[in-house]
Amino acid sequence: MSSFSCLSAAARTMKAAVLIQRWYRQYAARMEMRRRYTWNIFQSMEYADLQDQIKLYNFLGYLMDNFTPSSSERNLISHIFRENEVCRDAEWERYFSYTNIDVPDIYSGPRLTFPLDMDQAADLVEAFKNKQQLHSRYVLQLLLETWKLLRVLPNINRVSTCHSKEITICGDLHGQLEDLLLIFYKNGMPSLEKPYVFNGDYVDRGKDSMEILLILFAFLLVFPGDVYLNRGNHEDHIINLRYGFTKEVLNKYKLHGKRILKLLQKIFSWLPLVTVIDQRVLIVHGGISDTTDLALIARVDRHRYVSSLRPPKKKTPSRTNVYADSERYVEMIICKNRGGSLTFPKPFDARESFQRRSLQDFSSTVARTLEEEFEVRRRQAEFSLSSFSKSHRILSSALSSDSEPESSEFTDTGNDEWKQILDLLWSDPMSHKGCIPNEVRGGGCYWGPDVTEDFLNRHSLQLIIRSHECKQDGYEFCHNRKVLTIFSASNYYEVGSNRGAFIRLGPDLVPYFVQYQATRMTRGLSFPQNVKRTEHTALKVLREQLFVHKSDLLSAFQEIDKENTGLICLNDWASAIERVLHLDLPWRVLHPQLVSSTTDGKLDYHGWFRDLALKKPSSEHIEQTMLETLYRHRSTLETIFRIVDTDNSGLITFEDFRQTLKLLSAYLKMEISDEVINELVISTDTNNDGSIDIDEFMEAFRLVDKSRLERGKSLLKLMQDNQSLPQETETPRTVYSTAPQTSQCPASQPADPPASNTADSACSQTANPPVSQTADSPGSQTEDLCHISVVVPPQ
Amino acid sequence: MAPKKVEPKKPEPKKEEAPAPAPVPETPKEPELDLKSVPLEFTADQIEEFRDAFTLFDETPTGEMKIRYAQCGDVMRALGHNPTNADVLTVLGKPKAEDMNTKYLDFETFLPMLQHVSRTKDQGTFEDFVEGLRVFDKEGNGTVMGAELRHVLATLGEKMTEDEVDRLMAGQEDANGCINYTSFIKHILSG
Repeated sequence: MSSFSCLSAAARTMKAAVLIQRWYRQYAARMEMRRRYTWNIFQSMEYADLQDQIKLYNFLGYLMDNFTPSSSERNLISHIFRENEVCRDAEWERYFSYTNIDVPDIYSGPRLTFPLDMDQAADLVEAFKNKQQLHSRYVLQLLLETWKLLRVLPNINRVSTCHSKEITICGDLHGQLEDLLLIFYKNGMPSLEKPYVFNGDYVDRGKDSMEILLILFAFLLVFPGDVYLNRGNHEDHIINLRYGFTKEVLNKYKLHGKRILKLLQKIFSWLPLVTVIDQRVLIVHGGISDTTDLALIARVDRHRYVSSLRPPKKKTPSRTNVYADSERYVEMIICKNRGGSLTFPKPFDARESFQRRSLQDFSSTVARTLEEEFEVRRRQAEFSLSSFSKSHRILSSALSSDSEPESSEFTDTGNDEWKQILDLLWSDPMSHKGCIPNEVRGGGCYWGPDVTEDFLNRHSLQLIIRSHECKQDGYEFCHNRKVLTIFSASNYYEVGSNRGAFIRLGPDLVPYFVQYQATRMTRGLSFPQNVKRTEHTALKVLREQLFVHKSDLLSAFQEIDKENTGLICLNDWASAIERVLHLDLPWRVLHPQLVSSTTDGKLDYHGWFRDLALKKPSSEHIEQTMLETLYRHRSTLETIFRIVDTDNSGLITFEDFRQTLKLLSAYLKMEISDEVINELVISTDTNNDGSIDIDEFMEAFRLVDKSRLERGKSLLKLMQDNQSLPQETETPRTVYSTAPQTSQCPASQPADPPASNTADSACSQTANPPVSQTADSPGSQTEDLCHISVVVPPQ
Repeated sequence: MAPKKVEPKKPEPKKEEAPAPAPVPETPKEPELDLKSVPLEFTADQIEEFRDAFTLFDETPTGEMKIRYAQCGDVMRALGHNPTNADVLTVLGKPKAEDMNTKYLDFETFLPMLQHVSRTKDQGTFEDFVEGLRVFDKEGNGTVMGAELRHVLATLGEKMTEDEVDRLMAGQEDANGCINYTSFIKHILSG
């Protein structure tokens, strides 16, 4: 029936127009809401991932506190905390020598001759664009030259915009080569006329971190007066262990990877800390705190601060023994940690007297007797915790040293400097006034607009440009436009999740922005398709989180549903999830996407878990919990494995593996028997020579796609057979959504991993080879997961 | 529970924007809107849901649970209602144009507005929507001219901006500038 038929032509047209307009506006509003919550999900996942890092610190702390005298465990623990070898510079030069490395004729990549020139740098870019890999000989050579150059650079780069030069400033790149190429395409490559500042975080997460570094270093060598590199918090070899750069290097350079990593470790520590333009604009990776002092920064020996987790050692003996900020911020984590941690309550109550030893120190204390141990702890107990909610005082009070002659000692100055650097690399701005420890990241501060104001005045500056945080539009102002965040890795969470941007700054020091989004896949998709695709990934990740918390959620639901009706109202469902997951998400808005049906406004939660799973819960509740917990801690597990694998061979001994699992499970108050450990080992098809391939084992913990299932290589099938995991059906959207879903984004076809969606793989952001270099964190570029399955180890 | 309320189907829209001499019943003009007298009929669950959505649109740096006047319509629509822009301005108390981006409203103030808007029964059905597009199907072949649609949407009724029209039509027009409106409708509805 037509309501139009009785209208005149003009009226019909009008009515039609109005209808369409109204429909459109509602459509646009719903799209906007989805875009927003998708972004929230990704940010929450990143927060959760950062919490993972904190879990790692907690675990390491636990190890330090609770090692037993049994020899085997002590070996493992000393393994973890063993000192790095210390060599003289000459020895290092020999170690990094490349002259014996032959380059075969068959190698078709760039052959570098030093000193580099502009053409070679451009050729290098071109080669990487064509997916070539630079031969390790040239890598080492280039890195050595870079190291030599960096050592003569000051802590503070000083740049001027004289000669009417515009300076280009780029933020985080995180191994996303496409974005760097896009920037060069849009803006031109670095040159005398085109100076660049790169603000850190070149590596980790993305798959081409090495190539980005090589390009940046090449241009640095060719134009040392026009290319400025700042250090980011990811220019840190321990962080790299966790976030994928180490894996990438070892995979790309199987023979010389270890040496390359070692050299990079030094290079990272020699990267300048900040850049100042025209004495007016400060560029720093993280930010500032209320104690940041550029004069002090200018004076530090920056290369002594190799990693956020390893404070420097000073040889000068001192009566006072001040423990490093790394301990302090780990301490902060313990004190300030929201709800203990993401997935489980604080395992130990008496954490306030948490270890103040640095990880480096620990090796020297392994041999301590029980008496010595008590003495140290007694002295530590005398130390009082500063109150972190107010000012950010450095724990500079004296702690007495332990009796070891080689124990780490350094003065108050060392502690000050350490904090200064951590603040520069790790801090985030906040909207409230003041300055508080950054408990989310575990390092640096949250600083407020008053701190910005004060800092700028004290140093006669007018603007702080920083990076460190992903922004949807690639950039964002805050603090009354006195602080500017610039982020250059587009599609950071997922294709379509955000744009990247860079800044052009002329002599007037007014920032001009250029935004972009790499991958043709994005450009081909319309905005709604983009939103849907991103949303799809976000929801998938979210469902995974829900599933691996099933046991806790079930308990929470049952606590509410005391009469055991099996039903729960929406509000209670949402509150329970909030309590268990600690993710600040709009659960009620997300409800239709996560729940397929309700009766009378109540949710049948057992049915809901069934929807998330395939079979009825089995009685093996304990095993399920254990697997869930191990799964949730897989990144901690992996990092420990890699730390233990001191020769970077990718293998650890069965004994170390067993010890690590036992320690982790004791820490998590979980029973894990030797049988289960054996099953875990067997099921991952590891070598039979008593060593375990870390990658292979971690693969078993990944949510795999169908092809992997068929190879029978995944552990999680155990979960699936007992309780099952989210199974993506052929039309995933229809299962969960109540809105009519008539269009399917091509990427949601389960059979295709995202890589095959782009004909032009050169621009693909999400292609992940099976041996992925990223740690299994949701924030990383995930494969398109369609099936989750596991090989069942026999009970 | 889906946030979207399913409105009962009505054969004709209650309000008519056009000053057209058509035999369509004119809506009686509503008396001055008194929001304080609007009783809240939402359930507690629903209110929590609305609060979640409201928070999503809160752009204040300190999370004060406030949205700009200009966002009010969006939030209402995101929650499944379909007020016209005029409706939104009415519940906001007919603010000045410059107020739209400078004035804020909090959740407590928003709720009665939402309640009021939710009462409006003239959502317009799917059929109406199809009918509306068919009006522009001059040849009766299932396609409409993109250019004509653009022109109409940007000049009549509650005019859409060029950006809005671009967004709506993105990727819908074929080489001849024609839009197959069945797929167009699916495109809109799948949101």
